[in-house]
Amino acid sequence: MDELLSEFVAETKESLEALASVVVALEADPSDRKLLDELFRFFHTVKGSCGFLNLPRFERLSHAAEDVLSDIRAGTATPDPATISAVLSVMDRIAELCAAVETGEALPDGNDEQLIQSLRNSHERAQTASPDAAPVAAPAVEGQIRPTSVARTIRLPLALIDQLMNGVSDMVLSRNELARRLRESDANPELETSFDRLSGCIADMRDMISKTRMQRVDRLFMAIPRVVRDLSRDLGKSIDLTIDGGEVEMDREMVEMVIDPLTHIVRNSIDHGLETPTERLRAGKPVTGQLRISAHQSGSHIVIEVADDGRGIAIESVVAKVVASGIMSSQEASQLSEQAKADLVFMPGLSTAQTVTSVSGRGVGMDVVRANIERIGGAVSLTNEPGKGLVVSMRVPLTLTIISGLILKAGGLSFAIPRAAVVEILHDNNPTVSVTRLGGGLTATIRNMRYSMIDLEEVIGLPKVERPGPRSLMIVRSTTGKPYILGVSHVENNEELVIRPAAPVVMAAGIYAGMTLPDNGHPMLLLDASGIARAAELPLISELVDPGDGDEAGDKACPDTYSGLRFTELTGEERVIRLSLVERVEDIPADCFGGPDDRLHVRIGERLVSCVSHVNRADLPMSSKEITCLRIRDDIRELCYPVHSVLDISEVPAKLDMVSSRGVTAGLVLLDERQIEVVDGLAVLAGGSDRDNQARAARCIIADADDLWNREILAPLLAQAGYQVIWGTDTAPEPDDVVILGSCEAVPVAAGEVVRIRREAEPQGPDDMSVYRYDRHALLEKIFTLGERRSVA
Amino acid sequence: MSGLYLFARIGETSVAIRTDEVEGVVRLRDLSPVPAVPGYVAGLAALRSRVLTMIDAAALIRGGKAEPRDYSEKGGLAVVCQLSGHSYGIMVEGVEDIQTVETPVLPVCGRVDDVWQPYVQGVIELDGKACFVVSLAAFLDGCVSASIAA
Repeated sequence: MDELLSEFVAETKESLEALASVVVALEADPSDRKLLDELFRFFHTVKGSCGFLNLPRFERLSHAAEDVLSDIRAGTATPDPATISAVLSVMDRIAELCAAVETGEALPDGNDEQLIQSLRNSHERAQTASPDAAPVAAPAVEGQIRPTSVARTIRLPLALIDQLMNGVSDMVLSRNELARRLRESDANPELETSFDRLSGCIADMRDMISKTRMQRVDRLFMAIPRVVRDLSRDLGKSIDLTIDGGEVEMDREMVEMVIDPLTHIVRNSIDHGLETPTERLRAGKPVTGQLRISAHQSGSHIVIEVADDGRGIAIESVVAKVVASGIMSSQEASQLSEQAKADLVFMPGLSTAQTVTSVSGRGVGMDVVRANIERIGGAVSLTNEPGKGLVVSMRVPLTLTIISGLILKAGGLSFAIPRAAVVEILHDNNPTVSVTRLGGGLTATIRNMRYSMIDLEEVIGLPKVERPGPRSLMIVRSTTGKPYILGVSHVENNEELVIRPAAPVVMAAGIYAGMTLPDNGHPMLLLDASGIARAAELPLISELVDPGDGDEAGDKACPDTYSGLRFTELTGEERVIRLSLVERVEDIPADCFGGPDDRLHVRIGERLVSCVSHVNRADLPMSSKEITCLRIRDDIRELCYPVHSVLDISEVPAKLDMVSSRGVTAGLVLLDERQIEVVDGLAVLAGGSDRDNQARAARCIIADADDLWNREILAPLLAQAGYQVIWGTDTAPEPDDVVILGSCEAVPVAAGEVVRIRREAEPQGPDDMSVYRYDRHALLEKIFTLGERRSVA
Repeated sequence: MSGLYLFARIGETSVAIRTDEVEGVVRLRDLSPVPAVPGYVAGLAALRSRVLTMIDAAALIRGGKAEPRDYSEKGGLAVVCQLSGHSYGIMVEGVEDIQTVETPVLPVCGRVDDVWQPYVQGVIELDGKACFVVSLAAFLDGCVSASIAA
């Protein structure tokens, strides 16, 4: 909260500083519409922010000033000098209050009401157009020295950070140059040691400088829950807020630019979009409205979406408003497409709200939103479904964003591609991959999935460069959601890259997202995964093929080596597992993981799959959105193996270089001169809990379906123990089934295990093997031993 | 329009560029080629920590009628400039002089080759030798419109 408050103060002060010149200009020419608009937006922003920061004095002041300016904008009042100076004295008061909030002292005394009253007075005079209104003297502020609070943050001009960043980049480049020279000259260990130290310092420094620019989108979303809570309370609406994608990183500057528009959009959604509970009931919607805010990276942009399931934009009333305000004739308006009509909400000075509220209203939000987003080279778009909801999406560029990129080679050139766009990398000699060329088009089949494929060399029009070793195939995500395969010569490494915008003439090619200058000093282009798919006109299919087609190449590797999948454990060790055990590699959303530590489960579709036993819940990177998993299976068991990352597929010698069976590892092999632990497939599969799989088959028949006790107490207990509960005696019991009967019901002919349950505490005779229903211990034991016997069998 | 001009040669033609458009002249090597773009984009070059998009002015003017020269290995002289947030290097064949010219810019006389038409603003004379007055911005605009046309 403190952070929000200090941010508000800093921003307000900044705006006040910026407005100083506007004020001077406005005094010179009170009728200047543009200046008025700027002033108006300032008050609107202050009003909006202080509403949720609980600063009622700010709010009252800015609301009053906004009212007056709004009338002037609407043309119902003329801006005479008296009104303007009254507005300005309100601004001064806001500045005073800001200073007080910042140093944490008591708010300065001062009669706000008097100020507001004088504002209203001069405004009323202005409305009656009396030109000789006396200027309102701003209350004199005593120039006193305020104790300055301990500064925990400072605000720096971005230009300075840019200069720093450029300076550090220059340093890195000259370091690399120096390193090269040093390598060429005769070795001098002392020199090298001090150079290494320098080099380390420079690397640290660069990391730090880079961090000054980057911020998780989390910060952007920080204020949202509070806004939503307060607004929904004020307006009597019930709202379920979902926030997603806070881990996306974006430029600090971008975050700052997007905060205000985002807040506006959220306020608009709550105020105008989502209906009150009664209205929702009448419209046949759930009482609680859904508001979903998400951020994700899409190519060279970050997309922030605010989606609600409210009433959407009432297009007819927007059009009516536009026509009424004279911006457009009704004939012109009628020729617009539905989308264009919805986009009319971005017109300045337009509001669709029936009444002006202190929450939002006056339609100031949307034109400010668009202006702010377009200023940073972004775009705002609407997806309107009248009656069903509205999605506002902001696309803001990734400028100067640091991304983790893969560096790859094609046609003898180096390119970068965002790591996030690449799902998987395989070599084309991998047995699970088959590539076919049909009529010029390439299709790759990987583990029974067919993908469109294109070689990068084909896209960029360069010949393939012959080199030893296999080519790399990358499974790449595209915006349509369907992955495709990009064939490249080879993938070199992974590097953090500072992405800069490329010149328009380069962007026009449609396959680049920007450019970057890696440490070697040779500029490189960043590929746009979706752009390549578009340029190559790929049909973007990917579908499952009948299993069996791709299998023949599978397990017939020569006997002394096998294909192994190298991966990094969540705990950091590098291991290798037989590829034939891995059915597939999949990114599974982190929230699908659940269960206690020793029995971790993953929800896959409608099923629960056990995790391998040695992975602990604490190791799961719950902060990341998706966790990479190996899906392991043999003919009986199926397990999910969460890993940190999949590295590569290699030929692994079948003979271990060191046998040391410990936990899930069988021993060590040497791969590329590194020791890598080999996962013991048997240990992994044996460790998995398969009770669920087996118990699923076990049925338990309860004869008396009408009995409340059976239904409410016994059945849940059985279900918990893993039985499938079947009601009634209509089902013919199979020998494997457990039949549960009351004390007097007849045993069906083919019944296997029969458990009788009696109501009486004491057995009714020496032959009575039934269980007293409140004897919890006996009951559980009976059910449990049946289950045990079953799993042993 | 008197002022300080940079005198250079583009496509065997003498040109004068106003120095307020020019950040500097550098000799650049090791251009990284950019595939799938028009031929007059000679590549990318690093100038300290900046990345310049290199434009082969001669190839742009000839409009692809001649094969663009391959600068990727041996590099060449480039006039560095900045336009709407992007840094460019305009490849020239040579730089002759920087001089203040007091005489006004003269209108173009004679039938100028069509390919020069969009870029020429006038003619000035230096030591009795006529030069086209060109603007780097016009070259870069030419890039964009040429790529749209293509």
